[in-house]
Amino acid sequence: MTQDLKKTKIWKSIFRHDFSDTPRTRLQRVFGNVFLHLHPVRVPKDAIRIVYTWGLGGLSFYLFLVLSVTGILLMFYYRPTTIHAYQDIKDLAFVVTLGGWLRNMHRWAAHLMVVIVILHMVRVFLTGAYKPPREYNWVVGVILLVMTLFLSYTGYLLPWDQLALWAVTVGAQMAANSPMVGSEGPFQLPFITPGNDAKFFLVGGTIISDNALLRFYVLHCVAVPFLFLIFLSVHLWRVRKDTFSRQTGEKVDVWPHLVSRELLAALLATVVLFVWSLVVQAPLEGQANPNVTPNPSKAPWYFLGLQELLVYFDPWIAGVVLPTVIIVGLMAIPYLDLNPKGVGVYPRMERRKLGPLPIWYPAERPFAVTVFLFGILLWFALIFIGYYCRGPNWEWYWPGASWSHRHLSKLTLKNLPNLWGGLLLAGYALQGVPMPKRAKDRIAGRLGPRAPEALSGALHIGSGLLMSAALFIPLLTAPDPDDPLRSHHATLFAALGRATNAPLVSACYRLVERVGPAMGFTLIGLLAATMGAMLGWLSARCAALKDRLYDDLGSVKYAIVIALLLMMLGVLGKIALRLLCGIKYVISLPAFNFNI
Amino acid sequence: MKRVAFVALSAWLVVLFLIAVGLDATQEWTVYQRRFVKSLNRDERRGLPGGIQQIQVKPLGRVDRCTTCHVAIDKPQLALAEQPFTAHPGDYLTWHPPEQFGCTVCHGGQGLATQVRPAHGEITHWEQPLLRGPLIQASCLKCHGNLEEINAHVPLLRQGIQLYDRLGCAGCHTVHGFGQTVSIDLSDMGDKPWQLLDFTFVEGDHTLAQWIDEHFREPRRVTPGYRMTELPPGEEEIYPTFMPNFGLTDDQARALTVYMLSLTAESLPAKYTIPQTPRVQPAGYATAVERGRAVFQKYGCAGCHGEGGLGGRKNWNAQLGEEEPSLVYVKMTYDRDNLKQLIRDGRQPVPRRDPARPRAPSYMPAWKDRLSETELDDLVEYLLSLYESQVPQPAPVSEPAEAAPTEG
Repeated sequence: MTQDLKKTKIWKSIFRHDFSDTPRTRLQRVFGNVFLHLHPVRVPKDAIRIVYTWGLGGLSFYLFLVLSVTGILLMFYYRPTTIHAYQDIKDLAFVVTLGGWLRNMHRWAAHLMVVIVILHMVRVFLTGAYKPPREYNWVVGVILLVMTLFLSYTGYLLPWDQLALWAVTVGAQMAANSPMVGSEGPFQLPFITPGNDAKFFLVGGTIISDNALLRFYVLHCVAVPFLFLIFLSVHLWRVRKDTFSRQTGEKVDVWPHLVSRELLAALLATVVLFVWSLVVQAPLEGQANPNVTPNPSKAPWYFLGLQELLVYFDPWIAGVVLPTVIIVGLMAIPYLDLNPKGVGVYPRMERRKLGPLPIWYPAERPFAVTVFLFGILLWFALIFIGYYCRGPNWEWYWPGASWSHRHLSKLTLKNLPNLWGGLLLAGYALQGVPMPKRAKDRIAGRLGPRAPEALSGALHIGSGLLMSAALFIPLLTAPDPDDPLRSHHATLFAALGRATNAPLVSACYRLVERVGPAMGFTLIGLLAATMGAMLGWLSARCAALKDRLYDDLGSVKYAIVIALLLMMLGVLGKIALRLLCGIKYVISLPAFNFNI
Repeated sequence: MKRVAFVALSAWLVVLFLIAVGLDATQEWTVYQRRFVKSLNRDERRGLPGGIQQIQVKPLGRVDRCTTCHVAIDKPQLALAEQPFTAHPGDYLTWHPPEQFGCTVCHGGQGLATQVRPAHGEITHWEQPLLRGPLIQASCLKCHGNLEEINAHVPLLRQGIQLYDRLGCAGCHTVHGFGQTVSIDLSDMGDKPWQLLDFTFVEGDHTLAQWIDEHFREPRRVTPGYRMTELPPGEEEIYPTFMPNFGLTDDQARALTVYMLSLTAESLPAKYTIPQTPRVQPAGYATAVERGRAVFQKYGCAGCHGEGGLGGRKNWNAQLGEEEPSLVYVKMTYDRDNLKQLIRDGRQPVPRRDPARPRAPSYMPAWKDRLSETELDDLVEYLLSLYESQVPQPAPVSEPAEAAPTEG
């Protein structure tokens, strides 16, 4: 009977080979199947080890499929109009068979996909899989990451609840603050009005309403997935063309070795999603109400890092310039990292000693790995702060502390005068200046063999002292720029010291009160000098690395790398300045909305 | 190994899917329906609809699924004594046929929901929780302008409206265009989203009704402002609310709460609403003083100056002992024209007691566009009469014994 069935033309036209496990059928299964055909027929054994890839790329793709399927099902129940959308979501939750579960699946799969895509990027970076010939595919990958975030963001509005409306408002407001093309941003072009700026383009109106909902719906369900598929095809195709990054080990057949792993990973992901969707309900708040702003209004978690940055920088810098720099910087990585080592392996960690502390040190790509991981950690730290540590009025609350709308910040913030802020930034930029080999040779020839090192150390410590002076001198002496009436009598330091609980400043103030001005100011001066010198010493310790980097990369690439690095560390520095010293902006040019 | 994993994961998947289907098939409402059907005999079961029930009321834009569990609400012959299987009390359903009105337009709650707590709207993210007990009277005012005719059904609402007039709330608050603008407009108080309210000092549930209720009892506990010690240095203190503590009883506070909840911006279609019966203006007062008392009452002067102008309401950092002035002694300080001018122009800002502290929150608004000249005349008559009526007058001094020297 089965034999007869197998002889029919219908059977043969569907299954074009038999199922015996022979090398020939293994090949046929991959060749003869349009879906599996994406794979090569044979791959190196080590390339598909789970502990190498963790299945992250495949999982990203699988989650995209899950999202497409659940999304299509959800589209049957959803009308993108303000009067229907919220009710449709309620219907999904309450009356559609498995409707709530379906929505949960879609929601949680989207979150999971963002996480997995980011982890995939980290994995690719750590194993050096972006290095030639795979540079271009890394760029495509970054585009896919951005699209994943944009897909999540557009989907966020659709339930039309308070959470959605206000999260999207935060994002749309960032668009309104774009330089040149935003009606609230700096350097506005003359013809830009709220009726034709970037926010209008994004939300289809001056307020977030029916047009925005329709626009986000089309973007979310059609436009972005369409583009996503195109880039996804390129991405997968490039993986085929560029081969896997790890080429060790004997070659094995893709069927069954790779296909079975993919299947298992997909199954595992589905089980996780099933459980997640059964246990945790997707959030749905009250119906969107443009007149009632929840306090705090938070962006979706993957954008909370940016929202947290809004505290420290002008909206157009935190919301437009920094994300652009991050994206372009990510794309530039393969073109800036010329180190050919470390392809196809995780960084080998060497145990070293930094003073008394044991540290693990990536031996082959110390700079690249450290900087990249630091950036990722910083990003997630900002997200953590935004998600768990911010309450009403974006005040700081420790996780678990209960929020109170009556809590008022006692941190009074002042701007540094621009002159001193400029000096501070100049000192900071000087930390990044290298000493090229040529210059070293010349100095060594003229002043003796130890001179370059001494000079470099002196320069670093000097610029460290400059920074510290630029910070402390205005704190101690400059008149209060916000209150010119008092400026003859009070220094900014005094104003801050009385008015702020910024820890460093109030500690200084108390010190002066305790031991008298002469002694106190001397002590503060000593402290400032020590801090500056320490900072300089730290970067002097990195001088050799910088010089080598400069010699390897040449001036242009070095400038880009060091600028990106300084910006990244600068974000941390800015956070410290605000929280410790109560400094709002280092440089403030209100005429250009330029406040950093 | 892989095969085992594959089989195990697939089995898990099937089990989880079955669990999902099972949970979906045994939702709360199915349990209630089954319990109800069990209580019936076979004849009664016939023709009883099963599954999710919903009343769609197009004109009101509402879909109410309450009858999914409250199965016997319009079938008194089948109803049981326990919730949710009771029949609707009274004749209300005859007057308000469910297919025209639904449930939530009167009762509040979340009509779309099919689980108990969400359906009753007693969850964080639903703005109209079920109006339990007498609170439901708040809904009647949505349509019924003719409150006099349904008097017996809305005792609390009536009491609330009367209290609102008696206490002089209109002196500071506006409702539907009538009243002063010293404090907030109350026209849509019943819609106020909880996100705009501070529940820090509310002891009961975090609902609008509870907030209003506690605020009526102890306004300064619920909105205490900020003392200097709570504020960053250099900030001005924020006074507690100047809403007076009227010393309301529980019933009175509840009555006023019901009235507040009844004030919504929701506009129902014209065919649902009954226009207000024109109020009969009491006419033919005997004296200007009595007419003046009516003016005093109508415009809510009592809200700040106290009933009968006795004063005693707090006004932070105002001169005169941080209180709103009592009106008993106006006769001593003002003549007719001065008093009229003061009422016409109001007094804002109020002189401060301590110039370093922020300005007093309450002030005398200008009345010149609100009071007619005759009303003003009557009011002034009334105010000038207060001294005699409110202050215990010393007994008339008896004539001195030695009057005129006797002749001769």
